[in-house]
Amino acid sequence: MVKTQSTPVEKAARLLDLVPYISTHQGIALSELAEEFNLSESELLSDLNTLWMCGLPGYTPLELIDLEFDSGYVSIRNAEVLQRVRLLTKQELVIILLGLDILRSSLDPKREDLQEAISGLTIKIKEIVGNVATASPIVNSTHRAIITQAIGSRMDLSIKYHSAIRDTVTERVITPLELSLDYGFEVLNAYCQSAEGFRTFRLDNMKSVEIAGSSVSVPQQSDVAEFIWQLLIKSRFRTSSERFRSTYKARESTEGEQVTVNSFSQDWLLRNAMSTLASVEVQLPLSARSLIAEKCQQSLELYENWAFSN
Amino acid sequence: MLTVSRKTERLVNLTIALLATKRYITKSEIFRTVDGYEGSDESKERMFERDKDDLRNLGIEIEVGTFDPLFEDESGYRIKPENYQFQLGEVNAQEITFLSLAAEAWRGASMGPSALSALNKLHAIGIESDTELLLDLAPAIITQDANVAIAISAITSKTVLSFSYLSEDLETQSRVLEPYAVTSRYGHWYIFGNDLDRKADRLFRLDRISGDLKMQGRSGAFQIPAELDVNAAFAKSSELTTASIFLRDGRGLNLRSRGLQNTTTIAPAGWQEFHIDYRDRARFIEEILWYGNDVIVSEPADLRIEILNILKEGVATYG
Repeated sequence: MVKTQSTPVEKAARLLDLVPYISTHQGIALSELAEEFNLSESELLSDLNTLWMCGLPGYTPLELIDLEFDSGYVSIRNAEVLQRVRLLTKQELVIILLGLDILRSSLDPKREDLQEAISGLTIKIKEIVGNVATASPIVNSTHRAIITQAIGSRMDLSIKYHSAIRDTVTERVITPLELSLDYGFEVLNAYCQSAEGFRTFRLDNMKSVEIAGSSVSVPQQSDVAEFIWQLLIKSRFRTSSERFRSTYKARESTEGEQVTVNSFSQDWLLRNAMSTLASVEVQLPLSARSLIAEKCQQSLELYENWAFSN
Repeated sequence: MLTVSRKTERLVNLTIALLATKRYITKSEIFRTVDGYEGSDESKERMFERDKDDLRNLGIEIEVGTFDPLFEDESGYRIKPENYQFQLGEVNAQEITFLSLAAEAWRGASMGPSALSALNKLHAIGIESDTELLLDLAPAIITQDANVAIAISAITSKTVLSFSYLSEDLETQSRVLEPYAVTSRYGHWYIFGNDLDRKADRLFRLDRISGDLKMQGRSGAFQIPAELDVNAAFAKSSELTTASIFLRDGRGLNLRSRGLQNTTTIAPAGWQEFHIDYRDRARFIEEILWYGNDVIVSEPADLRIEILNILKEGVATYG
């Protein structure tokens, strides 16, 4: 991450937070302090040198903040006035509120003591900022923790996975490779030992995640063919684009919109084409068109079957 | 570089002076005793006004009061320690752990800087986190959308927002909103507030906003209603309808988990009948069609007919 130069006000805020931090961590190493505040050591030294010039009116050694950091370890004296930890800003409270919501939903519901502790904090914060932020996470934080741990220690995972495309829940043993983002959703790229292939799993579709044992080696990834379809969106432009994960922008014409979409999964494209049957026409490939025709015919037959009529 | 640190020094010195005093101190006292106020009277005044604003933006409230109750001619300033210090009271190791994890969840996301300063303060309290709790929890908020940060800062500062929103037809609509709340659900971020043109409460999905949210006008421009219920805003969008659908054995897992099985009638062999509620009819039709011939709608009749017609049309188009 590229760090930008702090403004004088940001720097002042940081100095006000450094004082209580050093006061409760007397003798902390410069490097450790720099890491806590996400600063380089030279930035931290510049902060400490500025702080050294501050104090009570009069500004004699009796009034100035007394800092010692030549030894590489930082200690502070004569800073009683600033020793209190500064209040959390409303912004900080709001992000904590959202974080607590996410935390609560990943705790074991049977641990009532922990649930209550979080509710207590949430109530305290809402009294200050109001009920202005809520979050219902779709990913279980415990699953994420286990996955991160498994990647770090090269362990395999055993997961129960709900595939929306296959409309099934399966148990698989996978070798986790990396966490990433796919259209705003958290996914795990992995080698699936059960399917003997590289797969991408959405974290929110994992029903359970457990460490399975040490990883064996993963084969080289080979290129997989991608399916490329050409569509004509005729209505429900925003929803249809979102379904096919096609980027969209404001339109001026009232005509249909031609877009190209792609996926490694033909099933996914096919199901989306069925979903959007009334608003999207798949133009190419022709093989896709006949698959869709077949699916429509199969469903129609059931609707026309007396057993399903009302 | 020198001017940067002089301004920083002056802000810190002003904070110390106003925090240390037990009584209100006047502006002329401040100019005389606090280091860093220099130049003409006018430029000192300007400096002081700007410094007060800067501190207020950091959440540091400067109180204005009368220096001497008998003489109301000159007002004074101070910072009350109770308005300066950490406001969540006594916290134990477990609570510190939860608060830290909650802030930590934003690391690397669009609210990174606020998360960091919150963590610095929490750690400054000097209570060690309960490391056993930390092990098996890794909450994360992954949004990179800069509009989440702008929305939160507009809500906390009560500033009006303007933006362009893309409608279902992908037309650009200009919106002006008093933002009340943000919420994350179904994997998306939403902002809720009072739409000033439509004169009604509205909900917007942040990723459907074209470009950036823009703050407009002054802060403190409106009040956020005390009884705020964002969940209700989601429910309000349309009426609830109950459908009756047939699901093939072991299929339609999402629908199964949301619906209720109807055990009073007998479904065809290899199928079960479920009752399921929906609000958005168009979305529900799309959801049903996703499952192809594994899900068949029985009732309501008009829904069944609409799906039937879509399928007939499909055969005509593709057949």
